[in-house]
Amino acid sequence: MGREAGSRREAVRAAAAHWVVRLSDPACAPGERAAFEAWRAESFENEAAFEREHAAWERTDRLRVFKPALSKPDADLFAPEEPRRTFDRRSPWTMMAAAAAIIGVIGTGVLSATASTAYATDIGERRVVVLADNSRIELNTDSKVVVRYRNGVREVKLVKGEALFEAAPDARPFVVKARDARIETGSGELSVRLGAENAAVTVRRGAAQIEPDGQGPAKEVRIAAGTAMVYGPHGGHAQPLSDAEIDRALAWRQGAIALNGQSLSQAVAEFNRYNRQKVRIADPSIADLRLAGYFQSTEPQAFVAAVTSAFPVRASAGEDGVIRLARKVG
Amino acid sequence: MTPEDEQRRAWFRREILPLEPRLLAYARKFCRDGESDPEDLVHDAFARVIACKTWREIANPAAFASRTVRNIAFDTLRRRKVLTITAVADFEQVGGMDETPGPEATLVARDELRQLREAITELPTQCRRVFTLRKVYSLSPGEIAVRMGLSVSTVEKHLIKGLRYCSERLGRPGAIQSVRIDEGRSWVGKRDRDAKQ
Repeated sequence: MGREAGSRREAVRAAAAHWVVRLSDPACAPGERAAFEAWRAESFENEAAFEREHAAWERTDRLRVFKPALSKPDADLFAPEEPRRTFDRRSPWTMMAAAAAIIGVIGTGVLSATASTAYATDIGERRVVVLADNSRIELNTDSKVVVRYRNGVREVKLVKGEALFEAAPDARPFVVKARDARIETGSGELSVRLGAENAAVTVRRGAAQIEPDGQGPAKEVRIAAGTAMVYGPHGGHAQPLSDAEIDRALAWRQGAIALNGQSLSQAVAEFNRYNRQKVRIADPSIADLRLAGYFQSTEPQAFVAAVTSAFPVRASAGEDGVIRLARKVG
Repeated sequence: MTPEDEQRRAWFRREILPLEPRLLAYARKFCRDGESDPEDLVHDAFARVIACKTWREIANPAAFASRTVRNIAFDTLRRRKVLTITAVADFEQVGGMDETPGPEATLVARDELRQLREAITELPTQCRRVFTLRKVYSLSPGEIAVRMGLSVSTVEKHLIKGLRYCSERLGRPGAIQSVRIDEGRSWVGKRDRDAKQ
């Protein structure tokens, strides 16, 4: 064992990876297959290492969900984001607000333990906030939360937009307030999105108790990981979600919109959440076209280009900067 | 290649490979003196387990695999010329591997996609591009070579490198914890902490 074994392990795994890559190439000749069989038969070490590398190769196939529909291959699909991207995207207004907040801290000196703090994002901005107890909040575009830790409860109010909450394990419950509802978890991970009238809660990990009206535990519902619940003035309903559906719903964390059969009007509404340049459907007859694919949320142009190349739809940009979509004539 | 061999390998893929993060965490307990490498222990254990022709009789693959790790650790210890006290003491203390996959295992499954994506992002530029074109857009090595003006063997080198990186990252225990760096601990986060104190 020790160093020598380590380099032997690496050599065997590299050889196994070489075979995985060769055998997956459509141009792989039958003679090579025989050479591979001979190599694999040399030792159980080779055989096990091949299974290991091959399994990893197959697992990376999952990355295909990120493939945008209808676009040419983009080798830089997974290019690292430039650091501090969220800051770059801030408008001067939020920069000023940030500066004002810093001055506020200096000015007031010691804040009391029950002070509340607001965190917000601008249109097209995303932001991660790590709280004192290591709980984490990821804010989507145009969103706002107010954090208030007091009297043995960690309370966060979602004022607008959408956020993912990762509650760190703690003796105190973690409570998210959204509209009238009160959502409580111990150390779960959940996302909440406010709609025009309703709100949707998706539990990704752990479990949560939801009181839809915040009027005590009478109507409390407990939902487990992998479940989404939508509630509004007329009650609520819960439904189980697959991992893929959860991944799609949380595509915004990667700066993307994942569509899987949504209508054009839903897709457009989604893009408009992230961009100042708005897209409008000028022709109701195209509103129900169905779309699938993975798009960068801050690039409505690319989305529009995909739509106009796939459907008989034309786009025109008006003087107001709004992109209008209508049915192509002739 | 016989169907019997293929069934044995399928069993290994299904029952043993997913245990890697847990086995690695377990192997670490035998390596606290720094003399041996837990990854080597697991690597050797895999070779020994896949060799088992009587795999059908194994009722509890996790227990079997962890026992194999333990046996190999013990063999290594015996072969050593100088025994360190820590190694012997550690050996006596280590019990069996935790049998139930913890919440972490479920977490890893759910976050696999995120991990993969992060792994790809971390690759060197050329390697990342080649890997993306192969795995996301399903271009063949030949097509990638033409598109990027590289030789096929260079394309393969990048693919091997990318695959090795992903397979190491996926096999590691607590991969989630290691990637959860506080990317956004901004001044506002600090302010909240200060406010608490």
